[in-house]
Amino acid sequence: MIAMSTRHILLGLLATGPSHGYDLKRRHDERFPRARPLAYGQVYTTLQRLVRDGLAEVDGTDSDGGPERTMYRATDDGARELAQWACEIAPPAPFVTNEIFAKVVVSILSGGDPDAYLLAQRAAHMTRMRELTALKTTPGADLASVLSADYALNHLDADLRWMTTTAARLTTLTAEVDPA
Amino acid sequence: MSADLRLAWLLTRGSDRREWWRVALTAVGAALATGIGLAFATVASIRGRYSVSVGSGLLDDASDRQGVMITLLMLLVPVLGFLGQCARVGAVHRDRRLAALRLAGATPAQVRRIAALEAGLACLTGSTLATAVSVPLLLSLWQHPEPLAWVGMALVAVAVPVLGAAVSALALRRVVASPLGWVRRVRPTRGPGRVFGALTVLLVVLAAYVGLNMYRGNRLGVALGPLTVFATSLLLGVAAVWLAGWSSRRLGTALAARAQRPALLIAAERLRDDPWATARTHAAVLLVTVVGTAFAGIRAVMLHIVNGTTPLSETNAYYTTGLDLTAAAILLALALTLSALAVGTAESLASRRRGLAAQAAAGVPQSVLGRALLLETALPLAPAVLLAGAGGTAIYVGWAELIDDAVGPVPLLPVLVPVAVYAACLLAAAMSLPLLRRSVRPAELRYA
Amino acid sequence: MSNEEDGAVPLLAARDLVKAHGRNEALRGATVELRPGEILAVTGASGSGKSTLLHCLAGIVRPDSGAVTYGGERLDRLPERRLSELRRTEFGVVFQFGQLIPELTALDNVALPLLLGGARRQEAQASAGEWLERFGVRGQEELRPGEMSGGQAQRVALARALVTGPKVVFADEPTGALDSLASEQVMSALTHTARESGTAVLLITHDAQVAAYADREVRLADGAVLPLEVGV
Repeated sequence: MIAMSTRHILLGLLATGPSHGYDLKRRHDERFPRARPLAYGQVYTTLQRLVRDGLAEVDGTDSDGGPERTMYRATDDGARELAQWACEIAPPAPFVTNEIFAKVVVSILSGGDPDAYLLAQRAAHMTRMRELTALKTTPGADLASVLSADYALNHLDADLRWMTTTAARLTTLTAEVDPA
Repeated sequence: MSADLRLAWLLTRGSDRREWWRVALTAVGAALATGIGLAFATVASIRGRYSVSVGSGLLDDASDRQGVMITLLMLLVPVLGFLGQCARVGAVHRDRRLAALRLAGATPAQVRRIAALEAGLACLTGSTLATAVSVPLLLSLWQHPEPLAWVGMALVAVAVPVLGAAVSALALRRVVASPLGWVRRVRPTRGPGRVFGALTVLLVVLAAYVGLNMYRGNRLGVALGPLTVFATSLLLGVAAVWLAGWSSRRLGTALAARAQRPALLIAAERLRDDPWATARTHAAVLLVTVVGTAFAGIRAVMLHIVNGTTPLSETNAYYTTGLDLTAAAILLALALTLSALAVGTAESLASRRRGLAAQAAAGVPQSVLGRALLLETALPLAPAVLLAGAGGTAIYVGWAELIDDAVGPVPLLPVLVPVAVYAACLLAAAMSLPLLRRSVRPAELRYA
Repeated sequence: MSNEEDGAVPLLAARDLVKAHGRNEALRGATVELRPGEILAVTGASGSGKSTLLHCLAGIVRPDSGAVTYGGERLDRLPERRLSELRRTEFGVVFQFGQLIPELTALDNVALPLLLGGARRQEAQASAGEWLERFGVRGQEELRPGEMSGGQAQRVALARALVTGPKVVFADEPTGALDSLASEQVMSALTHTARESGTAVLLITHDAQVAAYADREVRLADGAVLPLEVGV
């Protein structure tokens, strides 16, 4: 799961224009401060896999009076893959915040539709919460089930609250993310 | 009907101290109204010329009795004002309760019945008390009263509670209309209301009629009659109320924009927000000012005439007693009005308890709040009392002109009347200040 | 909307409701339906018009324009007497606070709609007692609302809303002033009873965990229903 996200995040960062590995790592760490910082090796491996899968390609080299650095660029296939991933609903279990956040940011970077995504994700969250509530209120439910349902519900609620606020803030967020 | 009675009883049984205050004050007002009504009925039932032991000849003649009756009627006005203020005690709480009843599914008619029962019972208590005191008193003064007197008194004793119930049901029509009475805090500030407007129109018509009559002939007879004085005073009082309302808003807006001190700012904003509230409270005060000023002048002139001129048709005592009785009536009216004012201010304070406590907790010093409270009364009243005083002066000066040319120097006392009334009003408002101290405790913030 | 295909006749329906409070437009063309026996949650930010929508649907307030239909009749055209009767017999209302009469005991508060309908005190109190027992507030009947905790008071309010066996219960932020455990007690009680007796519930809330007790959700924003409906 995490690996898939990294490649999509890189694709997302490439959506704004060609970039080389060092730059991508720096921008990733800036954009997603809560995620584990990417190692250079991981960046290059992921980039090579992207090239192998036809989602990215080499855009020439850039030697700015220093060591040679390869520039990478997203292909049309890569852009399509990115758009699809950004619209996909993440399964509503606890701790999906990072992924949701990633999708929103990436959507903004690649000119997708974060609004529609948030609406759809919210709907999925609500459905899961309804299921959990029904579980919790079944007569004869044992304490352990109730407690775990409560736990999941509270975290989903936290996600939901964040999504609602984000949807309201979307215009400001776009302005903030894009100039980079 | 019995269900409503049971509900009314249940509700009364569980009510807190404020409700009992309202019931008690209403009973007092009803007792006063009944007392006046009983006196009126008794005097009205006297036929022809008598030699009545009370009143040094004032009650002997039919036309004089008419004057007495009209005075009694005029006394009813401040009593009604007092009753109106009493009805406002705990009104916010009661409105909430009624709205909750409506929400639970009570029809408007049911709620009106319940409220009318509460008011009617309070008035019945007062009326019974007054009757119980008046009947022995009457029997001691008049050994064999006319049957008409009994009939009249019975009518009055019954009419007061019935009217009380009817009026309270009517007054609640706005509250009763919406089950959300307490939810929407934004209540549009009501103007004087249709009844008041109708009264104004009626008075203007009456004044025009009188003016026309004076112009055509028979000037003195009508112009000096008590009816004219009554009507003119009423008209001026009403005009003063309109002025009070209008000026309150203008004054409030103007002061709010320029106020430097916080107390003034608070008072000005409240004024701007609800200008008609003060006008309603002060209506009776203004009326009494007009009447009082006019009377003070008329009395001075009359005394001058009585003491100075050649022998009159009656004894001096006849005139002076008449004047003194009228003075007493006016003072009574003033006392009632001031009590009503005190009650009104206290009630307005009590209903704002939570807001005031919050302000105090936020650091507004009590002295500022106290000053704002006084200013709320003082500001709108000033122009209105001025006009009322001017009106009263106009009345008595006009009267004096009509009476005689050689009347003597224009008395100065009447000018003091508006000033005295104004000071008394401020005093009455200041009586609520201890209540402010109590209301402003932080503990008030706890109750929802 | 998917309602048309169902063929299920809605119990309560609002179409293009418009309502303004002074200069503030609370509702701008809101359209929503409540099916018999379903629990519908209406969510949205504060100021989105949720309470106003509930008031219009319950006949407490008349909309400026638009239609509210209940079981075939036009609710917004009914006279006040009939509306009061409806509130007493077929509708139940629960607010966030303040709907109980502080001067009456809990038992009398719950018995109130029955008393208003002319029932005898004995019978009314007997029914009321049963409902209080069902919501676990037995033993507090003689207390006044000011002497109870928020959660207890809300359960009493709930009992009052349900004592006449209504077809629709309108709940406006019923758990707004309660902590999570008290909230859960109130919501469980409400949904269980509603499902048992087939009562429809219109629930207003801004809390997602409370909305999760419903079968279906509808979102309001700026006085209109958002096009995306989620549900069963």
